[in-house]
Amino acid sequence: MHPSLPSRSLLPASLACRRLSAPRIAWAAVALWLVAAASATAGEPLHVRIDQAISKALAGQPVAERSSDEEFVRRIYLDLVGRIPSLDEAQEFLHDGSENKRAALIDRLLESPEFARRMQHVFDVMLMERRSGNAVPEDEWRQYLYDSFTKNKPFNELAREILAADGVENRPPARFYLDRGGDPDILTRDVGRLFFGMDLQCAQCHDHPLIGDYHQPLYYGIYAFLNRSFVFTDESKKTFFAEKAEGEVAFKSVFDPSVDEKDFKPRLPGGAVVEEPTFAKDDAYIVAPAKNVRPVPKYSRRQKLAEVATDGTSRQFNRNIANRLWYVMMGRGLIHPLDLDHSDNPPSHPELLDMLAEEFAASGFDVKFLLRELALTETYQRSSLLPEGMTDEQAAPERYAVALLKPLSPEQLAMSMMEATGVLQRERNSQSAKIDKDPKLKDLLETDAKRQQLRAALVEQAVYAAVKGNIQQFIGMFGSAPGEPEQDFQATVHQALFFNNGGMLNGWLSAQAGSLVDRVQKQQEPQAAVETLYLAVLSRLPDDTERTEAVEYLTRDPSARTAAVQQMAWALLTSSEFRFNH
Amino acid sequence: MKCQYACQTMDHVIARRTFLGGLVGFGSAMGLAGIASPLAASQLAAQQKHMLVIFLHGGVSQLETWDPKPKTDTGGPFRAISTSVPGIQISELLPHTAKQMHRMALIRSINTKENDHGKGRICMETGRREMPGFTYPHLGAVAAKLLTHESNPLPGFIRVGGGNGVNKKDAAYLGPQYASVTLGDGKPPANSLRPDSISALADAARNDFRRRVSDRFALRRRAAETEAYVQSYEQAQRLMERRDVFDISLESPSIQEKYGNHEFGRHCLLARRLIEHGVSFVQVGHSNYDTHYENFNFHIEQLGEFDATFAFLLQDLHDRGLLEKTLVVVMSEFGRTPKINERYGRDHWGSAWSIAMAGCGIQHGAVIGKTNDNGTQVVDREVHHGHLFHTYLRAVGLDPTESFTLNGRPMPVADPAVSAIKELLA
Amino acid sequence: MSQADPKATRVVRELKYNSPFISCRFDSQGRYVFGGAQDCTLQRFDVAGGEPVECPGHDSWVRAIAFSPDGEITYSGGFDGRLIWRETAAAKPEPIRTIDAHDGWVRAVAVSPDGQLLATAGNDRLIKLWKSDTGEQVGELAGHESHVYNVVFHPDGKELASCDLHCSVRHWTIADGKPQREFKIAELHTYDKTFRADIGGARGIAFNAAGTRLALGGITNVSNAFAGVGNAAVALIDWQEGKQVQLFKPKEDLRGSTWGVEFHPDGYLISVVGGGSGGFIYFFDEKAATPQDEVKLPRPGRDLDLHPDGLQLAVAHFDNVIRLYTMQKEEKAEAESKDDKPQETAKK
Repeated sequence: MHPSLPSRSLLPASLACRRLSAPRIAWAAVALWLVAAASATAGEPLHVRIDQAISKALAGQPVAERSSDEEFVRRIYLDLVGRIPSLDEAQEFLHDGSENKRAALIDRLLESPEFARRMQHVFDVMLMERRSGNAVPEDEWRQYLYDSFTKNKPFNELAREILAADGVENRPPARFYLDRGGDPDILTRDVGRLFFGMDLQCAQCHDHPLIGDYHQPLYYGIYAFLNRSFVFTDESKKTFFAEKAEGEVAFKSVFDPSVDEKDFKPRLPGGAVVEEPTFAKDDAYIVAPAKNVRPVPKYSRRQKLAEVATDGTSRQFNRNIANRLWYVMMGRGLIHPLDLDHSDNPPSHPELLDMLAEEFAASGFDVKFLLRELALTETYQRSSLLPEGMTDEQAAPERYAVALLKPLSPEQLAMSMMEATGVLQRERNSQSAKIDKDPKLKDLLETDAKRQQLRAALVEQAVYAAVKGNIQQFIGMFGSAPGEPEQDFQATVHQALFFNNGGMLNGWLSAQAGSLVDRVQKQQEPQAAVETLYLAVLSRLPDDTERTEAVEYLTRDPSARTAAVQQMAWALLTSSEFRFNH
Repeated sequence: MKCQYACQTMDHVIARRTFLGGLVGFGSAMGLAGIASPLAASQLAAQQKHMLVIFLHGGVSQLETWDPKPKTDTGGPFRAISTSVPGIQISELLPHTAKQMHRMALIRSINTKENDHGKGRICMETGRREMPGFTYPHLGAVAAKLLTHESNPLPGFIRVGGGNGVNKKDAAYLGPQYASVTLGDGKPPANSLRPDSISALADAARNDFRRRVSDRFALRRRAAETEAYVQSYEQAQRLMERRDVFDISLESPSIQEKYGNHEFGRHCLLARRLIEHGVSFVQVGHSNYDTHYENFNFHIEQLGEFDATFAFLLQDLHDRGLLEKTLVVVMSEFGRTPKINERYGRDHWGSAWSIAMAGCGIQHGAVIGKTNDNGTQVVDREVHHGHLFHTYLRAVGLDPTESFTLNGRPMPVADPAVSAIKELLA
Repeated sequence: MSQADPKATRVVRELKYNSPFISCRFDSQGRYVFGGAQDCTLQRFDVAGGEPVECPGHDSWVRAIAFSPDGEITYSGGFDGRLIWRETAAAKPEPIRTIDAHDGWVRAVAVSPDGQLLATAGNDRLIKLWKSDTGEQVGELAGHESHVYNVVFHPDGKELASCDLHCSVRHWTIADGKPQREFKIAELHTYDKTFRADIGGARGIAFNAAGTRLALGGITNVSNAFAGVGNAAVALIDWQEGKQVQLFKPKEDLRGSTWGVEFHPDGYLISVVGGGSGGFIYFFDEKAATPQDEVKLPRPGRDLDLHPDGLQLAVAHFDNVIRLYTMQKEEKAEAESKDDKPQETAKK
C-alpha cells in the first residue's frame, strides 16, 4: 500500500495497489481534505442530523408511530438483503429483548453476503435499466457488481471504473457504454441522468424550453467528454470502447441564432472547463488509429471524465448518488424524479441533500456507511400506518411523516416468495451439504480464519446460482421495459395470471418435505399452524380477527387440510401486504 | 448541427407554467404516464372505438398494391384495375380488395426517408423516428391507454401471431399495463387457463381470502398502488371467464372458410373476434414482402393470400356493424423501390410509398397525395409517419395534440411538429 | 459432330433496346431474335443486327415466345394472360389473333413438332391446348396445384410435360388430355419458412431430341428466397423412369437461378444462369454433375435460346441487351488449342 495513505482504507486496496498516476493522487488529496473538513464539523452522528432536518421541516406536524418490530424486521431485510426474513429469522428478532437489537440487526445484515447481492440488484437496475445486450454478458456484469459490493468498493471507484471503461482488461464495467451501443448522445443522456441526476436530453438542440437551468452547454459539456469515444470491433468480433485523440464539439441552437459554439470543451455540470494537455497532431496517440487497430490516445477525455466526476469535488455527482441511495431506503428521492435536479424542482430538503452528499463523499463514498445511517434514522423506522386524523397534506410523500410503501422489485419479490415458501431454505440445505462434502473446499473451510464467513458466502452464491432462473422469470414478468427506469408501480393482468395460474408459484406451494405448506400442515393445532403461516409469509402474527378467520378456513373441511393451507398461503403471498415493502 | 430527436420529445408549445405545475405535488404513487384532463371527454367518447393494424412485414410494394404505374419503366408486369370507387385504380393483384374500395382510403404520398426495417417500423408504429436510447409507445399502447374502458378485462393491445408473451417495450413509458400481448399462433394469453389442480371453487375461496387480507392492509394506508394491485387480480378473473374470445373454432365453418384456411386468415378472424369483444387495438402481421429477388412472383404469392382475406375481413366487419367504429390500417415499414433490380427484385424504399386505411373516422373512397408518373417521388401532399399517427388518433376521436404526463413531464401523444391529414378525416 | 465447340463460345453481337430484356427466342428459320422487355413490349431484331421492330399487342411482360415449324408465325404469351399470333416477318408485326388464354400470367407456350397444336401454361394452374391454325381451344389440362411455370411437347408429339412452382412434374397424353404421371423434383423447390413463401419451379424446360431426357432449370439449396440466396441447378430426368438422374450444378456454389436450358444436337446440355453471383452459360454432359465448360457473361443471364443452326446462342440481359454468341470453331482458336493454351472466352 502506498505509504502516504491512511490505514482506514479511504481508497480501496485494489485501487491503491494499482499504479497511481498523477491525477489520481491529486483527487485522493482532495478527498482526504474533505474527510478532514467533514469530521471537524460533525458532532452528532449523521442519522441524528438527518432526523433533525426532517423534523425541522415537519415543524411539529404529526408523524407516524415508530414501526413495530414486525414492520421493521420485514422492511430492513427487504432493503438490505433483498428478501423477507425467514420464519426463524423473524422469530429470532421478535424474541430478542435487547435494547439495541435494531442497530445490531442492521449491522449484521450489512455484513451478510446477501447484502452484496441486494446491492448487485439495486445497481444493476439503476445503471442498466433492464437493457439487454451482449457486448458484456449479463452474468459477468452482475458478478462484477456483486464482487464490488462484497468488498464494499467505494462508489466513486465503481463509478470511475464504469466511466473510464474501455473493455480491455477490466471488461464488465464497459457494459454501461457498450450495451448502449456507444452512441455519444445516448451516453450523454444516461451519464447525465444516472451519474449527475440531470436529464439533459432536451438541452441537446437548444436550451431546455421548460427548465431554466438546463442549458445547451450543460449537455455539450458532458458530450465533449464522450464524443471522441466509439465502439471498436476487433477481428474476433469482440467490442471495445475506444477513443480518438480528436473530435471537437460544436453546436448551435435551433431557436437562438446567436448560439454558435465551436470547439466546445468538456466540463462537468457545475464545473469549470477541464484543462487539457495538447499534443502535436502526429504525437497524439500511444497507439495510432489504423485498420483493425484500436487507437489509444495519449490523453483520454473519457478517462478525464472518470477522474473529475469521482474525485469528490463534483457536487452534482455527490448529490446524485446520495439522492439515489436515499431513494433506495425511503422510497422517494429528496429530488424526485431522480434525474430532474434543477432549481425549479428543488429537493424537498435542500440542506439535508447537501449534507448527505458531503458526508457520503467524506466517508470515502462508503455505501454501507450511508445505508447504515439511513436505516438508523427515525425517519426510516416510522410505521407506514397512517395515524388517525392525519390529513393528505400532512402525509404527503415528500414530508416523510409516514413510511412510504415501496413495491417489491422483481428480485425482491422472487426471493421473498421463495423464502416464504421454503424454496430458498431447501436450496440452502442442499447447497450447504454439497459444499461441506466438497473435498476441494474441505481444508479451506476447516483452516481459514474467516471460514464461517467464507462458507456463508459460498452457500449464498450457490443458492443464487440455483434460483437465478426463477428470478429471471420474475424480472421478465415484473421488470420495466428495457431502458425505462424501474421506479413506478404498475400492476398488470399478466402478473396476476402468472400467480393465479402459472406453474411457478403454485409449484412452490406443493407439500413436499421442508416446504412452507409441509411445515404448516404438520402442525396439528390449528392456531399454531396459522401463526406459523403468518409469520413465515407476512413476518408477523395474525391479529385476533385474522386468527379466527384463518382457523375457520383451515378447519372447514378436515379432509382438505393441505389444500386449505395452500390456498391461504397463496392468498397471503398475493396480498397487497406481501407485494409492498411497508 | 444535428437535431434528430430532442426537439420531438418535448412539446414546445406547452406553457412553462403548465409544465412546472405538473411537477408540483405529483406523487410517485400516481404511477406512470397519466394524461392531462382535457382529453378526458373525447377519451370517453372514443372508448367505443377500435384500431386494427395489418402489418405487411418486410415492406410491401406500393406499385404492386395501392399505387400502380403500369407500362412504365418502373411499373413491372402487373396491370391496374378499376375499383368500386370510380377513378381509383389499384394493382390487379388485389381484385377482391378493389371491390371494398368504397370503404377505404389510400395515402399515396408517404415519405419517411427511412430504408431500414427496424427504424422504418419504429416510424410507422410510434409515429416518431427512432431516438437512440429512448422509446416511444407503440400506437397500440396509446390506443390501449386511451381507448380501453376499465371494465374490459381483455388486454387493450393484442398482437396476433409471433412468440407468445408480453412485450413491455411496446408500452415504453406508458407502463406495462399497456404492453402488447402476443397471442402466438392465435393461442390465448399465457396463464389464462386455471390449472386442473385448482378447482374453480378453491380458486374463488383463496381469492376471497386474498381480498380480505389486502383490504385490511389498505385500510390505514393511502396508496393508489395497492388498489391497482388488487384490481389486477379481478381483471385476471374476468379474463379467464372470457377465454373463449380467443377460440376461433367457435366460429361457423363457413366463416372460417371465407377468412381462408391459412394462418393469415385465422389471425384475421381472431382479430375480428377480439375487436368484437372490445379489445381496443389489434395488430395482425402478414409475412413477408421483403422481395429483393423476384418481387413479382412473391407479390403474387403473398398478396394472393392477403387480398381475399382482407377483403372479407372488411366485409365481415361491415356486416357486423364493427367497421364504423374500427379504424383499419394496412401498413408496412416502408415501400419498395420503383427501380426493378437485375434479379427482378425491388429494394427498400421510404421515399414515395403508400398505405391503405378503412373504416371509422375517415373519408371513404379518398385518395391523398400523388407520386409522379413512374412513382419515383411524391409530387403532392407529402406526409410522413408523424402525420399518419395524428390521423389515426383523430380518426378514432382522440386528440393527438394532448400530452401524457411522465413523472411530471408532458410527453406529447403525437409529434407536435406535425398534424393530422385533415382532408382525410370524416 | 457439328462445328459447334463450347470452348469457342464468344459474343458476336449486341442487340440493343431501351428496356431490360426478360426473354429471347430465335425464329425457326433463324432469321430473327424476338425479345420480351420490361416495358411490356415484344421486340424483333434481325440476327444480323440493326434497330428492333416493336411487336404490339401485349399489356404486360412477355416471357413465352414460340414459332411455327416453318418460322412464319410467331406465338407470344404474356403476363397479361394473352396469347397472340403474328406474322414473323411482317414489316409491321401486328397481332393477327389475340386470345385471352389464361386467368393470370401465361408463363410458357410450346408448339407441337408437327406445328398443329400450341400448349400454354399459366398462373391459373392450367395447361391449355390450342389449334394453331384457328386458335380454337382443344384441351384444358387441370391438376397442378400451383402456378404452372413451364410446358414442353415430347418429341414424339403425343405427350406433354409440365412443371409448376412446387416442381411437381406432370406427364400428359395429348390425345385424351389425361394425366399419366406426376413426380416431384424436390431439389428445385423450397418453402422459405422465414419469408413464408415458395420458390422453385422450372424456369427452363427441354427434352432431348430422342425424348429420353427431360431437363428442368431452376434454383436449389435456397437459404433466403427473398435475397435469391440459392444455387443455380438443372435437374436431368430419365423420362421413361420418371427419375432424376443428375443434378447439374456449377463447380462452385454460385448464387443464382437457371433461367433457360437447351439440348444441343451434339447431346450436351446448355444452361444460362443469372443471380447475385453474375451470369454464366454452362455446358453439361450427362455423366458429370459439374459443367464441362462455362462462359462468364458480362451480366446475369435471364433467358437462353439456341439457334436452329446449332452454332449460335441468344441470351437476354438486364442492361437492355440481347447478346448473341457463337460456338463456331475458329481456325485460329483451333490452332491455339493444339498448343494447349487456355481460351480467353471459355474456360474449362
